[in-house]
Amino acid sequence: MMRFGTDRPRRRPNLTPMIDVVFLLLVFFMLASRFGVDRALPISVAGSGGSYSGPPRLIDLTAEGLRLNGTPIAPEALAEALRPLTETPADAIILRAGTGADVQALVAVMDRLTESGFTRLVLVE
Amino acid sequence: MDFSDPARKKPEENLLPMINVVFLLLIFFLISARMTPPEPFAVTPPEARTEAEAQGEFTLFLAADGRIGYREMLGEAAMQAIGAARADHCARLDCTAEPPRLTLRADLALPAADLARVLPQVAGLGFGQIELVAQTGAVP
Repeated sequence: MMRFGTDRPRRRPNLTPMIDVVFLLLVFFMLASRFGVDRALPISVAGSGGSYSGPPRLIDLTAEGLRLNGTPIAPEALAEALRPLTETPADAIILRAGTGADVQALVAVMDRLTESGFTRLVLVE
Repeated sequence: MDFSDPARKKPEENLLPMINVVFLLLIFFLISARMTPPEPFAVTPPEARTEAEAQGEFTLFLAADGRIGYREMLGEAAMQAIGAARADHCARLDCTAEPPRLTLRADLALPAADLARVLPQVAGLGFGQIELVAQTGAVP
């Protein structure tokens, strides 16, 4: 009878390399994944369908502040001032960004109007 | 006289519970991870109190200096790439029934007039709805 070697005692497989790989994968997924969902505000573009009706509702964003139809207005008073000018909350409100207004100022106004129930905010140049 | 304990075999540390926990964590991260394509540049979204979640399939980046980015492409190449991505998406799914949404990640310091200038170009690509990403925070 041929014997190619002596019987060795059975050894338990070494688990350490596997643990290393699993830790590596764990760290990779922890670093690569992004948690939490983004918040977003809907925005409309002029000329994307939908009609305009009723009195003018133009909000100017300037470096000095807000203007509704040309008259300066405080951000807090905006929603109340717009209510008599709209029939339904889905009426378009035009936002015009002037020089000196950044996206944060725009989003602050949009946030305020969205909170007051207005759903169609149109941004124009 | 030798009163010490007889030499005991050192108990082998059992690694299996730790491996179980690590695998559990790994599976948790695998399931919960949302792999996002790399950002072309860092963008700080403006703060808002809105609770609506961003649902756009495509994300266009706008830097504070007006640069446009999509995945790794910048400028005109980014606009072409997102147009191609939309066409690809529409070849697989019916876009007439449900137009794809676009998520805009604009930097908070970007002049709003620049955003207004970019919007018609983006709308011309055929996106049904455009949304502006904001992060939760207090409005100044």
